[in-house]
Amino acid sequence: MCLGIPMKVSAVDGFNARCEAKGVSRDVSLFMMQHETVSPGDWVMVHVGYAIQKMTETEARSAWEIFDQILEATEQPA
Amino acid sequence: MADPATTWLDRIRGLDLPERIRIMNVCGGHERSISMAGLRGALPAAIELIPGPGCPVCICPEEDVYEAIQIARREPVILVTFGDMLRVPVNLPRREIRSLEQAKAAGADIRPIASPLEATAIARDNPDTPVVFFAAGFETTTAPVAAMLAGGVPDNLSVLLSGRRTWPAVAMLLEGETPGFDALIAPGHVATIMGPEEWSFVVENHDIPSAVSGFTPESLLAGMYSVLRQHLEGKLFLDNCYEEVARPGGNPTARDHLERVMDVVPAKWRGIGEIPASGYALRPEYAGRDARRRYPGYADEGRKRAGQMPQGCDCARVVLGKIYPNQCRIYGSACTPRDPVGPCMVSDEGACRIWWSAGIRSEDAA
Repeated sequence: MCLGIPMKVSAVDGFNARCEAKGVSRDVSLFMMQHETVSPGDWVMVHVGYAIQKMTETEARSAWEIFDQILEATEQPA
Repeated sequence: MADPATTWLDRIRGLDLPERIRIMNVCGGHERSISMAGLRGALPAAIELIPGPGCPVCICPEEDVYEAIQIARREPVILVTFGDMLRVPVNLPRREIRSLEQAKAAGADIRPIASPLEATAIARDNPDTPVVFFAAGFETTTAPVAAMLAGGVPDNLSVLLSGRRTWPAVAMLLEGETPGFDALIAPGHVATIMGPEEWSFVVENHDIPSAVSGFTPESLLAGMYSVLRQHLEGKLFLDNCYEEVARPGGNPTARDHLERVMDVVPAKWRGIGEIPASGYALRPEYAGRDARRRYPGYADEGRKRAGQMPQGCDCARVVLGKIYPNQCRIYGSACTPRDPVGPCMVSDEGACRIWWSAGIRSEDAA
């Protein structure tokens, strides 16, 4: 549950952001991002449904490379 | 553009390393990246990478899991919790219900969630049923729980809080006679929330080289290169190899939510005992949200083996970095992800589970 997931913001409505990653879309809370402006097109690091910080696309893509490996490994039966 | 992992590996290989240097990480996410990317095999043999106290599920007090099971079974509630908590066993005879998963199978309304937002949604959708959110986690998870409460929740939602702070466990190790490591990779997302500065004490009070790292192999290797150079050159400082995300002062909104909603208290860690200033408790203003107040009397700390790790399980020593996962007496034999004994094999962030997923077996060299 500590794994942060980089996601791209597609729409913002108050403290709620629609975010996307790997073709999956979900609602993310911006309640912990009140010190920053988050806009569509931004990338955010998401922890348990809450954005905890903005990040660059480069950092996000780099993070996804290792997550892809992890997902592949954890999808295999133990 | 950050340097690629191969460049960092070459730099590390080019260092004049001592015979042995032990670098501890204190984050399940770090350990997962290290294991999945095969960094141990790629680094010079002198470098030992030790997984430390980085799994909140593993150290969540046995008493709290027991309390959650009892509330879910004996009160007319819906109990929601992060999925990892469901299979954590408590110390009861095998004929009794020993996990939330077993309680669920026996009829209790227990639902796994992935976010505090789901807890509020379930409470909203079931206005006539009390909902208890059993919330275990480090700062990265506890801050969202604080944000959830600060933002306002339905009246029927209460929280059974088992929030823990990471650095006091490292402080406890460093204040012991044998800390067991020579350098530290500090957790990137805890630092994102709380600020990298929280880890300065490791360098300033204990002369241990330290670096905050992110979760990519490049960021982890950059952190390792930094602490190795600090060690070799004797110039110690807290480096930040995750600057873009772990910013000075951390996330001010998240810290504000934490401070408004929770107090820092001494807290128990499973199999380890109480660590000063290592836990969170709801502030008096939020006492009405405290599941322990709504449903008192279920902790039963007088039970046999209450608070301990399961019998035969070496999870406590694994969590403290005293042994590697595959040095546990039951790793891979009595304890596997399919039939786990200890919480370190249950949780996705447990070192045993991560090592098993990475293909490391009991006979492999650590």
